Amino acid sequence: MSTTTTMTHDHEPDGNGQPPRPVSPRRRTPGVGPGERAISFLNGGFLLFWALVTTLPLLWAMLSSFKTNGEFRTDPMGLPSGLEWDNFARAWSAANIGQYFLNSIIVISMSLTLTMLFGSMGAYVLARYDFPGNRLVYYVFVAGLVLPVFLALVPMFFVVRETGELPLIGPMLGLNSYLSLALVYVAFSMPFTVFFLTAFFRTLPSSVSEAAIMDGCSHFRLFFTIMLPMAKPGIVSLALFNFLGHWNQYVLPLVIMQDGDKRVLAQGLGTLAANTGFRADWTALFAGLVIALLPVLIVYILFQKQVQAGLTGGVLK
Amino acid sequence: MATVTYDKATRIYPGQDAPAVDNLDLTVEDGEFLVLVGPSGCGKSTSLRMLAGLEEVDTGAIRIGDRDVTHIPPKDRDIAMVFQNYALYPHMTVAANMGFALKIAGTPKAEIQRRVMEAAKLLDLVEYLDRKPKALSGGQRQRVAMGRAIVREPQVFLMDEPLSNLDAKLRVSTRTQIASLQRRLGITTVYVTHDQIEAMTMGDRVCVLKDGVLQQVNTPLALYDKPANVFVAGFIGSPAMNIATFDIVDGKAQLGEASVPVPTSVLSAVSAEDSSTLTIGFRPESLVPASSDNGGGGIPVTVDLVEELGADAYVYGHPTGPAAAEQVERMRSEAVIARVEPRMAPNKGDKVVFAVREGESHFFSAKTGERIEP
Repeated sequence: MSTTTTMTHDHEPDGNGQPPRPVSPRRRTPGVGPGERAISFLNGGFLLFWALVTTLPLLWAMLSSFKTNGEFRTDPMGLPSGLEWDNFARAWSAANIGQYFLNSIIVISMSLTLTMLFGSMGAYVLARYDFPGNRLVYYVFVAGLVLPVFLALVPMFFVVRETGELPLIGPMLGLNSYLSLALVYVAFSMPFTVFFLTAFFRTLPSSVSEAAIMDGCSHFRLFFTIMLPMAKPGIVSLALFNFLGHWNQYVLPLVIMQDGDKRVLAQGLGTLAANTGFRADWTALFAGLVIALLPVLIVYILFQKQVQAGLTGGVLK
Repeated sequence: MATVTYDKATRIYPGQDAPAVDNLDLTVEDGEFLVLVGPSGCGKSTSLRMLAGLEEVDTGAIRIGDRDVTHIPPKDRDIAMVFQNYALYPHMTVAANMGFALKIAGTPKAEIQRRVMEAAKLLDLVEYLDRKPKALSGGQRQRVAMGRAIVREPQVFLMDEPLSNLDAKLRVSTRTQIASLQRRLGITTVYVTHDQIEAMTMGDRVCVLKDGVLQQVNTPLALYDKPANVFVAGFIGSPAMNIATFDIVDGKAQLGEASVPVPTSVLSAVSAEDSSTLTIGFRPESLVPASSDNGGGGIPVTVDLVEELGADAYVYGHPTGPAAAEQVERMRSEAVIARVEPRMAPNKGDKVVFAVREGESHFFSAKTGERIEP
């Protein structure tokens, strides 16, 4: 578009006495020719279609969570006649969603902190320090990206079970332990975290870290007070990405959290769905679904700006 | 405040044979403003970074005052550096940027504040102290970078092309500011630039480097008047010196139709090194138009271009005559450049014969490139 604008501008006389050349109206208003209009319509149309595909089911689930079971069965597509808050109460207490919600929060607060801490530290060293084996360590991390979860599932189960037998730390680990699940999450999200953040740390100007070294920073201080704040956009978007990943994790907790009280939200919803199959409490299921959705939506809305900044990777020169 | 001494300091980058800095012997006096200058890749930045401790010293030593700092980490060297792209901490305010080193050193808060304020007043930054770097203009960022160095009250300032990111006009004014600031503070300063005008205008002394080897250190005027070798002669001065290799014929330097008188002391030096050629340089202002009938002396030139600057006019031309091709081949510079009276400048295409003002030729050995003093 900008090239078209400059072109038309070039053709205009610069007050040197030449009569203005006739310029077709299409040239004068670039970007809205029939071809461009069709493309922008297709663009907009596709985006609209995609938005509907993603939001309508969400909207339907939300609306359904406010209906009574009777309403839902007779008119699944209609609007609710009133706000049936009892669905949420039933989901929260009777179906134990409250407990599962808490479990999810406990596990994720541990797993996310550890992932971001270790991931950024590892990535920083791999990106900024030259030592023998640097590339090898990096490629080992990257190789983790291609490992499917299901392949690791069985050995992981045995490893986690064995950790429970360890002296001293055994009671904190093993099956049905928050810490075990958090550590497993950390292990599975480390490859992408290191891969992404290594690239991000490489883009940061080296003179800033040199300036900090000359100002007297130790390596630790350099990392925590200078480099980490500078990498904030990348860290935030990756933390959000990992949050979504951990929050929606189903297979790993299914294997590790077998105890009813220790289950996380995704498992809880699964149980609820299975149970409603017999009791047919559909609206409570939808209420549980909405409860599970809300934190993700809230986090995303809050950090939307940072995520965009992180993905475009702008660093002050 | 202290002197800085490079004692045969050498830096060889891993995986390379040629040293980036080769046996550098250099002493910077207490309170002196020394400029390291040279074309890109000459080792000037590496020399500075060796002094900063950001680059290892492979052999030799570096001393600040009497202290050998060769293997001391940067923070213990009592130096401050201004980087080319300023390297400000983007997430800290101007005040925090300037006080960061003091904060790490554990200086009391009140003292940090006092020193930051002092430097901010000096640099006209008081109203920007609470801003982040990205809300500042290029010139202001440059001053913050200076402030960060000043606040530390170091023994030595290191500056790595601090003006190269500024626009031309700001560069000239900042140049004088930095030079006068340095004189006021009296702190020993090592300044790196590739711009020889910056070097000439700012430095107490200028150190010319080429391929990691020190060529000459002296005051700007001494470099201009008595370049130690052909490289310095061609590098210092703008427009550049005219340099060409002449044959010695009958006690005169001859190149095609061009001929330049040579003192006997130079002639005997040339014959002493068993050579029949001599490299001669003359600055554009040393050339004067000569009448063509002065006994065959002078350099005939066809004018290609005349640069009229108002106070001066520079003539850019190429040698003319039957041996022109050979003359061009033997020239080190691309054109013959002469300064002429702006009101009497020749026109493009004119043929002018120039003579070198007596005593203003520079003679260099054609073999070694070293200066031959007449």
